[in-house]
Amino acid sequence: MAATTPPKIIFEHEGVFIHSNTEESEDQESLISGFLRIIDKDGETFVEYKPLEDTVDLSNMLCACKDSSSVVEWTQRPHRPLDQQLSCETEWDMVNTVSFKRKVHTNGEGGSNHFNERNKWAFSFNVSELRTVTVKHEGWSYLIFCLRDDATLPAIHFHQGGSQGFLDGLRKSVHLSESPDDKNILVVCTYNKAISQSFENLLDDSNYGLVQKFKKDPYTTTLGGFSKVTNYIFDAFRPSESEYQQRPDEEVADLLGELIPGLEINQQEEPGFEVITRVDLGTRPEVQRREPVMMEDWAKHQDSEGRVSNVPHLKQLIFKGGLCHALRKEAWKFLLSYYPWDSTHEERKNLQKRKTDEYFRMKLQWKSVSEEQEKRNSRLRDYKSLIEKDVNRTDRNNKFYEGLDNPGLILLHDILMTYCMYDFDLGYVQGMSDLLSPILFVMENEVDAFWCFVSFMDHMHENFEEQMQGMKTQLIQLSTLLRLLDLAFWNYLEAQDSGYLYFCFRWLLIRFKRELCFQDVLRLWEVMWTGLPCQNFHLLVCCAILDSEKQKIMDRHYGFNEILKHINELSMKLDIEEILIKSEAIYMQLKNCKDLPHSVSEILGLNTITESSTLETSEYSVLESPQISPRSAHRQDQAYSNGHGLLQETSHNTCKVGFIS
Amino acid sequence: MAAKSSLLKVILLGDGGVGKSSLMNRYVSDKFDAHLFHTIGVEFLNKELEVDGRRVTLQIWDTAGQERFRSLRTPFYRGSDCCLLTFGVDDAQSFLNLGHWRKEFAYYADVKEPDSFPFIILGNKIDVVERQVTTEEVQRWCCDNGGHPYFETSAKDATNVAEAFEEAARRVLALEDRQAHVMPSDVVDLRRKPRSSSRCCL
Repeated sequence: MAATTPPKIIFEHEGVFIHSNTEESEDQESLISGFLRIIDKDGETFVEYKPLEDTVDLSNMLCACKDSSSVVEWTQRPHRPLDQQLSCETEWDMVNTVSFKRKVHTNGEGGSNHFNERNKWAFSFNVSELRTVTVKHEGWSYLIFCLRDDATLPAIHFHQGGSQGFLDGLRKSVHLSESPDDKNILVVCTYNKAISQSFENLLDDSNYGLVQKFKKDPYTTTLGGFSKVTNYIFDAFRPSESEYQQRPDEEVADLLGELIPGLEINQQEEPGFEVITRVDLGTRPEVQRREPVMMEDWAKHQDSEGRVSNVPHLKQLIFKGGLCHALRKEAWKFLLSYYPWDSTHEERKNLQKRKTDEYFRMKLQWKSVSEEQEKRNSRLRDYKSLIEKDVNRTDRNNKFYEGLDNPGLILLHDILMTYCMYDFDLGYVQGMSDLLSPILFVMENEVDAFWCFVSFMDHMHENFEEQMQGMKTQLIQLSTLLRLLDLAFWNYLEAQDSGYLYFCFRWLLIRFKRELCFQDVLRLWEVMWTGLPCQNFHLLVCCAILDSEKQKIMDRHYGFNEILKHINELSMKLDIEEILIKSEAIYMQLKNCKDLPHSVSEILGLNTITESSTLETSEYSVLESPQISPRSAHRQDQAYSNGHGLLQETSHNTCKVGFIS
Repeated sequence: MAAKSSLLKVILLGDGGVGKSSLMNRYVSDKFDAHLFHTIGVEFLNKELEVDGRRVTLQIWDTAGQERFRSLRTPFYRGSDCCLLTFGVDDAQSFLNLGHWRKEFAYYADVKEPDSFPFIILGNKIDVVERQVTTEEVQRWCCDNGGHPYFETSAKDATNVAEAFEEAARRVLALEDRQAHVMPSDVVDLRRKPRSSSRCCL
């Protein structure tokens, strides 16, 4: 290895500002927008700030300066007395109340001159020269670096969030501790990368219990500099200054954050979190969708006894185009593992008979409960009452469920009641009628719909459980993905107290059922049920939708409430084919990425052992390599699907929980 | 001070299926759909109105009523200025649960004195013929629980809906006025969020 390895960017954040005082008046400031980096050069760590060229514009947040001859000017000094700093306003309120006006530079001759003017603000220093970092909050956060030679650099303002991420990045190289005199000042104690890193490893599965254990463990007391170490750890767990501010939105966000403790840890407390390192994702490839699978395509994949052959190829076709409606009734039974792919007509007939008996046995159980019994069974009574109410307000504008006493309504009711008998612990939870309705609509048969619903519920079960663990897991996973895909947007959401992505709750709970029109729900679900191209594909669907909305959200400076409202109101305005194209493109982009963080590849199931990942890859590329012989493809299918469909197939993935949730 | 439009956060709570979303939609859009989807998650709508010559924006929050969703619903209670406890007059159980809802709200919204907090009780669906809850029963309950005002509403027929929401706004403003008088003007009341007109959206 050569000694001069290329510099490695440990942290990068665009959209930080220096407020430069202009000469004319000290009340007037101009903003120098730039990016802040932590760079590793041959084992030495540097912090550097570089202003952006004007052509890149000050920032998309302010949108005030479009040409190089004008600067954005603050007409109101953002300095506020301390008590006002603790007010309930969000960062964006602050920014909004400050007005910006254009001012033409009278002395500036040309763009280059102006750029030089800006460029003088650039700085770079070795972190070993850093003495203190002062952390201040003025609605937003800003940092002031003071070097060992007592030089103080201009304050760096984080108008778009990200200061915490920067400090986390810095802590990888140096140990920061609060000054005893002023808690806003972080003192660089010793430049001891080795110590801090070894404790980052400890913190990797950071939770409070670990810290407690760590405190009590006598072994650690023998370590030199233990007090520094505990300081280091408790610093990492101390809530940031801004969290003490009394802001209702932030309070709501904090409470939501408490519900999803893993999310908080992921975002702030895990110094070793890989996503801090900026990963070059490369370009997003072009993706084409195909026509839906037709009857004759389906027939071609069946042998004379009714076994489905070359399942990977068939699934790939379904993933790329969905199914024509006439095929759904048959094909969904396979996709949902009600029918094994390798079963014969005969076997399926027997299975159906068995399942019919089983269904009616359970149906009889609730049907035969007398009024007296019901009086003494409050849980059953509650389930029943809510099912009756919800059935009356599920897809009532759909032909299949509209009007009074529609048989569809009775079936919906009976299947949900029977499901309570099938899984009394879970019973009925709101949202389940949404999941059943499309299945019943397609099956047009009570028993088939029930068993297909049971199978779908196997995947969605955790979403509805008492602790809603499935929802929490998914929100954390989604946050991890979004942070990698779009750090700027993720930072924006976090600055708006929306980093826990609560606004995606309905999307995830009922898999976009309320977001898309009925026909599009059918299309999306059959595509998802193929299990292609990766596990948790629905999270990439979320990312695709957010990708299309982020510009609007950031341009309009939406805050906590507005983001929730905006996302809620996307319902029925989304185009499924567009979303699927983008979701698949994001998948391709991530798959092609060489240094995908482990956390992300785990969510998507891309880091499976060589054997299974080969299978997955070959499955995904079946369409592209038609020379693969049907025989070998079939054998392959048997090798991993074992004829049990969706659930079994995922068992080779290391992160099964993620998929089921 | 008087010219500023205040944003008042009002939250609808009550059992599933008593008509919380329908009440909100009737009031904000003057529409009614008997087959409206049940709410998943939380939603809110804004409505501007004038009460006694003062312009206010009501931000009305609507939540999923089922117990299972409690942990994801309760964080949104914070910062509420008024709570509309809703039941269906055709659903005795939903009336019996009012106390539970009141307690849940007071706890999670961190209301120090529930008796002086502006709760309003709404008995919805009075258009339905088979009532399970009588007006007297409710009035007695209101009396025993801090004398909250009670409205019998029908989101379907638009009976008393606007009146109930306007009363909510009036109660909040009256409470604020009272507190403004009690407190010396240079003391910042930390319990109340400041009214910021820039925060109200769309």
